[in-house]
Amino acid sequence: MRSLMLMLSGCISLALSSLCLAEGDLKPVPKEFQYCTVCHGTQMQGNPSTGAPRISGLPSWYIVNQLKSFQHSYRGTDASDQPGNEMRIAAEGITSDMLDDAAAFASATQSPLPAATLTGDATKGKALFATCMACHGDQAQGNEALFAPPLTGRNDWYLTRQLNNFLSGKRGAADGDVTGSQMAAAVTVLTDEQAVADVVAFIQTLN
Amino acid sequence: MKKISRRQFLAQVAMAGGTLAVYNTAMALDLVGNKDALTTLKLKPTTSKQTVAVLGGGIAGLAAAHELGEAGYNVVILEASHRLGGRNLTLRHGDLIDELGRPNYCQFDKAPNLYFNAGPARIPGHHRRLLHYCKKFHVPLAIKANHNRLAYAYDNVPGAPAMTRQQYYISDARGFLAELAWKAVKKNLFDEPLSKEDVEKLEFFIRGYGDLDTSGQYSGTYRAGATTDRMLSHGDKYEPMALQQLVNSEYWKGSMNSPENFDWLSPLMEPKGGMDQVVEGFKRNLKAKVKLKAQVQAINLRDDGVEIAYQYKGKVETLKADYCFNNIPAPFLPGIPNNFSEGYRDVIASFERDSLFKIGFQMKKRFWEEEGIYGGITYTSDRINQIWYPGHDINADKGVLLGAYIWNPEDIEHFANLSLEDRLKEAAAQGEAIHKGYSGYIENGVSIAWHRMNNMMGCGNRISESHFERNFPLAQKPEGNRHFLIGDQVSYHPGWQEGALASAETALLQFNQLVSAA
Repeated sequence: MRSLMLMLSGCISLALSSLCLAEGDLKPVPKEFQYCTVCHGTQMQGNPSTGAPRISGLPSWYIVNQLKSFQHSYRGTDASDQPGNEMRIAAEGITSDMLDDAAAFASATQSPLPAATLTGDATKGKALFATCMACHGDQAQGNEALFAPPLTGRNDWYLTRQLNNFLSGKRGAADGDVTGSQMAAAVTVLTDEQAVADVVAFIQTLN
Repeated sequence: MKKISRRQFLAQVAMAGGTLAVYNTAMALDLVGNKDALTTLKLKPTTSKQTVAVLGGGIAGLAAAHELGEAGYNVVILEASHRLGGRNLTLRHGDLIDELGRPNYCQFDKAPNLYFNAGPARIPGHHRRLLHYCKKFHVPLAIKANHNRLAYAYDNVPGAPAMTRQQYYISDARGFLAELAWKAVKKNLFDEPLSKEDVEKLEFFIRGYGDLDTSGQYSGTYRAGATTDRMLSHGDKYEPMALQQLVNSEYWKGSMNSPENFDWLSPLMEPKGGMDQVVEGFKRNLKAKVKLKAQVQAINLRDDGVEIAYQYKGKVETLKADYCFNNIPAPFLPGIPNNFSEGYRDVIASFERDSLFKIGFQMKKRFWEEEGIYGGITYTSDRINQIWYPGHDINADKGVLLGAYIWNPEDIEHFANLSLEDRLKEAAAQGEAIHKGYSGYIENGVSIAWHRMNNMMGCGNRISESHFERNFPLAQKPEGNRHFLIGDQVSYHPGWQEGALASAETALLQFNQLVSAA
C-alpha cells in the first residue's frame, strides 16, 4: 500500500487527471470518534474553515492533557473564542474511559503537513524561539517531562491563535491550569503581533 | 469568523445591487408570469447507466437526486448523518438532536400535534420551486400565521413602552408618522410644490394611514381595539403612547418591519404535520440508493469521472461516479482531501459558517389562546428575540411553542455555551416577562444550536462578504465539468429551502447542457 502521506500530499499538486485515491489508503475512524473528523477533517488533517487544527502526530499524552483542559473549562470559555468553546462542549462527549482511546486514535492519524498560510520573518522568529527551546526543544519536538507539546506539523493559523490566546488571557489563566499558566508566563516574551507572526514563521521552517 | 448576522449580510448584499437587482427582476417577472420554475427543468433522459454521486442529503441534494433519478441516472446519496433532510428537521418524541458533545433526545409527548420545526418553518407563496415539489409530491400545506398583530411587542429597554399588543403599537406609530407627514404637507415641504388638488389627495391618504382627525391630529384609534368590550358599546380608545416611548423602543427600530420582508409576507404556509413532510415527499419519489451514516473522506476528480472515498459501516469504500453533486456544507470541504484546482479551492475557502438558534417548549396548556393569540410571533428585545405560537391544532390540550429564535451572533454564542438545561431556564425566564406563569406551563424543551450540530456546524453559510461578488458565479460553475457545489450556501438565500432548490436547479441546468453536448 502506498504511503497515505505521500498519496494525500500528492493530491494537492497533481492535475485533475491523476488518481489520488485507492481503496485502503484511508484508515477507518472508530465510530465513536467520527465526531472529531467532522470539524478536524479527514484523518484529523485540520480545517481552517471550521477553525479546528491538525491533530495528526501529536503525542497521546498531550491530547489527553488538552481534552482534560477543555473538560475542566481551562480552555474554551472566553466568549470570543468560538472554536475553543465548540471544542470545550465537544469534549463533554468524551467520557473518562474514552480519553486514552480518543488520544491514541487522533495521534495515530496520518495526514499531509499543513501548508504555510501566513507570513512572518523567520530570522527574527529564530531569535525569539531561543526562549521557547527551553521547554519545547531546539527542533520544537516537545518534551513530555515539561508538558511541552511538539510545535511542528501544526497549522500556522492555529499556533498564531493560541499564542494570542495565551497573551490575552483566553488560555492559561484559569485556576488549576498549571501547564497553561506556565505557557502564559513564557509567552510574554512575544511583545506584539509581529513577534507572534515571526516565531510562528520560524516554527514552520522546522517542519 | 467575522461577526455579522445573516440579516445584516443580506441587507448589505442588497445594497450592492448589480447582479441581485437582475435576480430580483427575474423573480418579479417569474411572479408576474406565475411560472412554476422547476417544471421548465427537463433533464434529458438517459439510458447510459452513468452514476451520479450526491454528497449530502439536504434539500438541494434530494432535489438533484430526484431529478437525476427520474432522468434515468444511477444515483447514490452519501449522507453523513443518521437521516435525510439536512436542516429540514422536525422534532418529535424520541428524535435525536445530534449536537456535538451533547447528543440528546426530544422529550415531547408522543402525539401527532406535538412537533417542532427546528429548521425551516415557513413557506412564502413566491417560493415557486419548493411549492412545485410540494404539489408534485402531494405534501399538504396549510396557511401559517406569521404576523399576528394581537401578539405582543416587548421592550426590555429604559423609556420604552410597557408590553403592548403589536396592533396598539403599530397604530400609534402610524398615527405619529401621519402627523409628521400632515405637517409637511401643510407647509408644502417638497422639492416641487404640490398643486392644491394633490395636497387634498395626499391629506386624504395621510388621514387614513394614521387615523387622524380632520385637523391632522392623532389622539388614539379604535384600530387598536378598546379598553372595554366593543360589542355592546363603543368602548374607550387606548391612550396613545408618548412619542419618546416609541423612539426608545427596540421593536420600532427592527421587528415592527419584519412582516414587510418579502420572504415573510403574509400569508405564509407550512406543511401539515411538520416541515419534514417535504423530505418525506422527496423520499417517496427517490430513485436513488441512499447510504446513511456515510461520511465522505476524500474527493478525487478525474477526466472521466469522480471518485469519492467514504466511511460506511466501519470501512472506507470508494464510489466511482461520472458526476458529483456536492451538498456538503462548504466549510467542511477544506478538511476533506481533494484535488480541486487552486482557484476552486479558493472559492470554497471563502465560505463562512453562520449560526442560528432555536428553542422549542412543550406547553401543557395553550395559554396564549386564552390571551387571544392564535399563531404568529411575539417580539422581545431580550435575547430569545421571538416567541412563535403554533397555528395548527388550535384548541388542543397541549402545544409546542417556539421559545427562542436567535439571530444575533453574540446572543447565539451566549445560549450555545450554556448547558442544555440552562438554555431552557434562561429562555423560560425571558418568556415569563411576556406571559405570566410561562415557566409553569413548560413540560420539556429542545434547543438547537445549528452551528454546533453534528455534520452541520453552521446555518446560512455563505461566501464572505468581501469575496461574494467575485466568487458566487465561480461557486455555481462545475469543477472539471464533473463536480457541482450545491445547497442554500450557493444562493442569495442561505437558510431557505428555496435557495437550496435554486442552486440545485442551476447545477442541473448546466449538467443538462454538458450531457446534451456530449
